[in-house]
Amino acid sequence: MIVSIARKEFVDAWRDGRFRWGAAIILVLLGVAVLLAWQQVERGREERVAAAALERSNWLNQGEKNSHSAGHYGVYVFKPIAPLSVFDRGLEPFVGTTVFLEAHRQNQASFLPAQDATAVRRFGELTAATGLQLLAPLLIVLLTFGALAGERERGTLRQLLSLGVRPRDLVLGKAIGLGVAILTLLLPIAVIGAVALAKLPGSDVAGSWTRFVWLGGAYALYLLAVLGVCLTVSTLAPTARTALAILLACWAANAVLAPRLVSDVVQRLLPTPKLAVFETQMHEDVKKGLDGHNPNERMKEFQRKTLEKHGVSHVNQLPFNFRGLLMLESERMANEVYDHHFGELWDLLEAQDRAVTWSGVVAPLLGLRTASMALAGTDFVHHRHFSVAAEQHRREFVKVLNEHTMYSKSHSAGRELWEKLPAFSYEPPGTDFALSTASPGLIVLFLWVLGSWTALLVAAPRLKPN
Amino acid sequence: MLETVNLTKNFSSHTAVAQLSLKVEPGEIFALLGPNGAGKTTTINLLLGFLAPDDGEALVNGLSVKANPIAARRQLAYIPEQVMLYPRFSGMENLDYFSKLGGRKHTRSKLLGLLEAVGLQAEPADRRVSTYSKGMRQKVGIALALATEARALLLDEPTSGLDPAASHEFSQLLRKLADDGVAILMATHDLFRAEEDASRVGILIDGKLTGDYARNEIKDVDLEQLYLKHLRA
Repeated sequence: MIVSIARKEFVDAWRDGRFRWGAAIILVLLGVAVLLAWQQVERGREERVAAAALERSNWLNQGEKNSHSAGHYGVYVFKPIAPLSVFDRGLEPFVGTTVFLEAHRQNQASFLPAQDATAVRRFGELTAATGLQLLAPLLIVLLTFGALAGERERGTLRQLLSLGVRPRDLVLGKAIGLGVAILTLLLPIAVIGAVALAKLPGSDVAGSWTRFVWLGGAYALYLLAVLGVCLTVSTLAPTARTALAILLACWAANAVLAPRLVSDVVQRLLPTPKLAVFETQMHEDVKKGLDGHNPNERMKEFQRKTLEKHGVSHVNQLPFNFRGLLMLESERMANEVYDHHFGELWDLLEAQDRAVTWSGVVAPLLGLRTASMALAGTDFVHHRHFSVAAEQHRREFVKVLNEHTMYSKSHSAGRELWEKLPAFSYEPPGTDFALSTASPGLIVLFLWVLGSWTALLVAAPRLKPN
Repeated sequence: MLETVNLTKNFSSHTAVAQLSLKVEPGEIFALLGPNGAGKTTTINLLLGFLAPDDGEALVNGLSVKANPIAARRQLAYIPEQVMLYPRFSGMENLDYFSKLGGRKHTRSKLLGLLEAVGLQAEPADRRVSTYSKGMRQKVGIALALATEARALLLDEPTSGLDPAASHEFSQLLRKLADDGVAILMATHDLFRAEEDASRVGILIDGKLTGDYARNEIKDVDLEQLYLKHLRA
């Protein structure tokens, strides 16, 4: 019986011109979004590869100079584009793509793609992810609001129940039929996404295919939860019009109201400092440490201890260049300050993300968004992973230069030293990392599926013919 | 086959059906006459198990509707004032779907035969029902009763709005079903059809069965006058 009901619902959905048109429009929009994103990612990837090669060449060919000057000359490193940003760009447009590595300073990533965007971007960017997050639920609402309330209104529900159909079988059959109809819409999108991913060079990095499958799972959970909510409302609403009004209100609350409201509340509860305040505070703390360029009391103390340790009375008697050691110590102290400030800020940003994710228990989109960005590798945690790797590279790079200053007889260095410093090579984190980051969002979605389908099964026996 | 024993249903302070006891045997057509609001549709809803009685019992083939609503409905077919079908499906597809849900799976030729038996030929049977007249939809309803091999039929104003020819055709189909042993309870305003088709006539006023007449008891009586007499009493 359930199979017969499911088959009828599936056929009925596809014979419904509204669903066909809606599905076609969504399919075209999402297909175009994936293709445009693919072009953007491919172009961005090529630009970054070319820029990295040019940067390396500039570094190697900077000529003879003081090794510490080379530290100030610095080097740019570029964040690789996550292949799955084809699907969900996440925070990519709003976090930097490039980090300038130099002596003494830990810089944040700069050159935000959003800065290069036109004003049109303010209206939002259509990606496959936003399409599935916002448009697909709307299509489900339009497809299902009358699934049971409409049958009741038309009188077919009386007809069905009079045949001895169990309400729970009817509801489950409808859920399966409509679910399969929605699935047939999503499959082409998944195929387009898979083809786009396969066509990207280096698409196999960081377990992209496994992440892709999990992404599919996360969206399936989300849409399943939406379907459960829609059918529950349609079961209980007295008329199809009432069901539609309730579901559109739910859609607006989930898609428009909740993200804004929750982010405002979270910012109030866990406020992040203003950028200017953060940087001023951090640089003040750095200044309180050793300053390799300007001797101060701390430097004198450090010098005294160093001389004492080596049993000499003057820095010239040390078996190395004291200035190099001072630079190393200055970096070590500054790094402690950076670790403290950036660590606090980044922990705070992650705490905000977690709070937003768990707020997903009232609006599933919030859970999905964080899970989707995490699985696509475009969330803040992935950005932090890159920033930490870039900073690690900076510290190694500055250390090598300062050690050269410390131990080299000549202050000047050339290509031989520059070549000793390897080009920045970033290995994005794997699937396990993404899954652990995405797990709160996935748990939220699972809870929604559990809750909405339990509600549906509880509501089903209350299905009234009038 | 269809039986109500002291069946009572109240809506707030209003009693829709009061101590109603009636019995429809196999092969009988019981016409339940009554004005609007007399409790005819409520009685049908109680027999379908769509409403729970406040007192008394509704039975289908000896099964308590309250205790076994699904099993009781499995023995019934229900034809409302307007048989509602799925407009994006043909009459044939509707019949196939509904009969499957009624627990009967038939071949296309069998279903076509049933539709032909109720006067729907192959061409309209394969047309979407959004193009059907009310009479055609009522015929699909009868075909469904045939397809589910229901032993009892509940009809709620089935001929309301049908033209005389369609109404006549519908009556013939009902009589054929009754001849095959189906117990039929028909709530109606249509005194003419009741007089023509019913083997028994019940008059329901304010939820009470004020009259219950066998066909031979009313064959020489003007049913309209009898009905008005009950109404004025």
